[in-house]
Amino acid sequence: MSARADILAKLGTLAPTAGAAEALLVDPVRRAVAGDLTETFLAALTLPASGATHDRVAAMADVPGAVAAYLDTHGLDRAIFLPPDPRLAADWSGFKLSPVIMPNEPAVVAVARLGIAETGSLVFETGPCAPMLPNFLGLHHVVVLPVAAVVAQLEDAALAGPQPRAHYWVTGVSGTTDIEGQYIRGAHGPRFLHVILID
Amino acid sequence: MSASAFTRRADAALADPVLKIAVERTAGTAEAKRGIAVQHFAQFEQARVRGAAIKDHVIEHLGHYLEQFEAAATAAGAQVHWARTADEACRIVIEICQAAGAKTVARSKSMMGEEIGLPHALAEAGIGRIETDLAEHIIQLAGERPSHIVWPAMHKTSEQVSALFKQHHLEPHNEETIPAMAESARRHLRDGMLGADVGISGANFLIADTGTICTVTNEGNAELSLVPPRVHIVTAGIEKLVPSMGHAVQLLRLLARSATGATLTQYTTFYTGPKRQDDSDGPQAMHIVLIDNGRSTMREEGLAEMLRCIRCGACMNHCVVFRQIGGHAYGGTYPGPMGAVLTPALDGLAKNRDLPNACTLNGKCQEVCPVKIPLPTLLRGWRERSWREGLEPVSVRQGIAAWAWVAQRPRLYRTAVRAAIFGMRRFGRGWIKALPMASGWTAHRDMPAPAAESFMRRYAKGER
Repeated sequence: MSARADILAKLGTLAPTAGAAEALLVDPVRRAVAGDLTETFLAALTLPASGATHDRVAAMADVPGAVAAYLDTHGLDRAIFLPPDPRLAADWSGFKLSPVIMPNEPAVVAVARLGIAETGSLVFETGPCAPMLPNFLGLHHVVVLPVAAVVAQLEDAALAGPQPRAHYWVTGVSGTTDIEGQYIRGAHGPRFLHVILID
Repeated sequence: MSASAFTRRADAALADPVLKIAVERTAGTAEAKRGIAVQHFAQFEQARVRGAAIKDHVIEHLGHYLEQFEAAATAAGAQVHWARTADEACRIVIEICQAAGAKTVARSKSMMGEEIGLPHALAEAGIGRIETDLAEHIIQLAGERPSHIVWPAMHKTSEQVSALFKQHHLEPHNEETIPAMAESARRHLRDGMLGADVGISGANFLIADTGTICTVTNEGNAELSLVPPRVHIVTAGIEKLVPSMGHAVQLLRLLARSATGATLTQYTTFYTGPKRQDDSDGPQAMHIVLIDNGRSTMREEGLAEMLRCIRCGACMNHCVVFRQIGGHAYGGTYPGPMGAVLTPALDGLAKNRDLPNACTLNGKCQEVCPVKIPLPTLLRGWRERSWREGLEPVSVRQGIAAWAWVAQRPRLYRTAVRAAIFGMRRFGRGWIKALPMASGWTAHRDMPAPAAESFMRRYAKGER
């Protein structure tokens, strides 16, 4: 018998009674998010564990200015990797744009589909205009997020229907506690996370 | 009776002056952080009940969910493989690597990979292996095995890590700080990760309705080692299934808090199939190896509750025995209380009968387990089975038989207790420093001297 047949024969393939799995989704046990979603999101985002900074602008047209200001604060050149994402359409003429992501890219700009107030997480999906690797390579991760895209809980991030290749939640920066339990930022990926909210 | 392999390892661990400091630094921090996280999540207890119910539901209908997962993952373009044993799983992984012409693989820390002996299998096949998790990188350099399921290098002090990096890194750190050491590893690992032919990961969850696998990391090393290579291979235990994303989310809330005290891991990623035609990055092929390796037998033989385990490490962080001897003394892939339950199932009870005894039954592991696994009960189950199967040494069997014979005769038993009290008190009052036939105890610690009279005698006298 094949391994598959052997394993399934041992386990049986008894289907659960209708609604049994769904019943375990009712009233998920979680910390309720009350009050203003954006404020709750920002509170979680800026906790020491997450350690992100943020800025707020009126429209997408103001984002390049906010990115420039952030880079200036950190003494960085105005050089970024910018994915070909139509959601990031703006006047980026003041920047040197990397044509491809470099292994030691100093700053990467991206746009999140959602922000999650419960945990301060940013939600991304892969797609033709949304590469995944840059969001894990750059030292500074600058993420654009419309205020209207902040949702309450982790469950709200799930996508119905066919899934993209990858769907990922970023909560803070790349960190490690692997040496003596001491928390270090920027283990492999971003050491800095900066969120630019658009009203 | 000669000392068992476990006893020898535990003795060596206790005699190591550095080990306890190293274990204490990481496990102590983890314990404190988890405590704070649980305080801030008032409904933690209800969440544990729900988490256990989700896992029990899946374990009961495991075959059904495996078939559902296989169909959905295949529809998304992934190739699903099945392995009964560790050897079968390794063979499948190696064949995929060879078919892909792989010279190097980047591995993202997975306990399943350790369980099936994948590092060894890759070495035998002549395939280069880059461990991308910082701790796995440290132990790869040291040529050791993980000593903890979340912090595999917790037995190493920063001084030891520093020496390893200076020996192996091309541009090692200049200053003796932990951030500088982490930076050295960042520099060293980056090119290897981006240039690997195959990326291998485990899975924290397999989501049945969409055929999705979920990995969680704090370093982002999984994503860096799974996106650039041509092929992504997943090795996952069959118990990792959940019906849907909504079920996974509820377990994620428990996992991060129990492991590191965070509300969520920094990077929580859901992969469904390989790169799509228009995607701008991702692997060309995705293979998922579903591994039984004793799990279906565990379900049949009274260890179904152990299959709830989500590998957070809280049980070992809170275990008084683990905190003294560290992870290597346990000898298996999984240390601590969960390891003491799993290792006899994976590797045989006869070889590992000491593990269920390396436990004080203080219940702390069960108290902190996010999915309420009754670890002390399962450990007692192994002890009983070891007795039934005659695996206990003759001296233990005869000693217990003699005690039972006396204990069934109350008058004789009380006389024997009086004699023992009289005898023992001749060796010391308060604390006994040395006692004939009990040197196994008194060589390492004093024995409390018994009270002048037994409880039964004082009770009989009307003291109550």
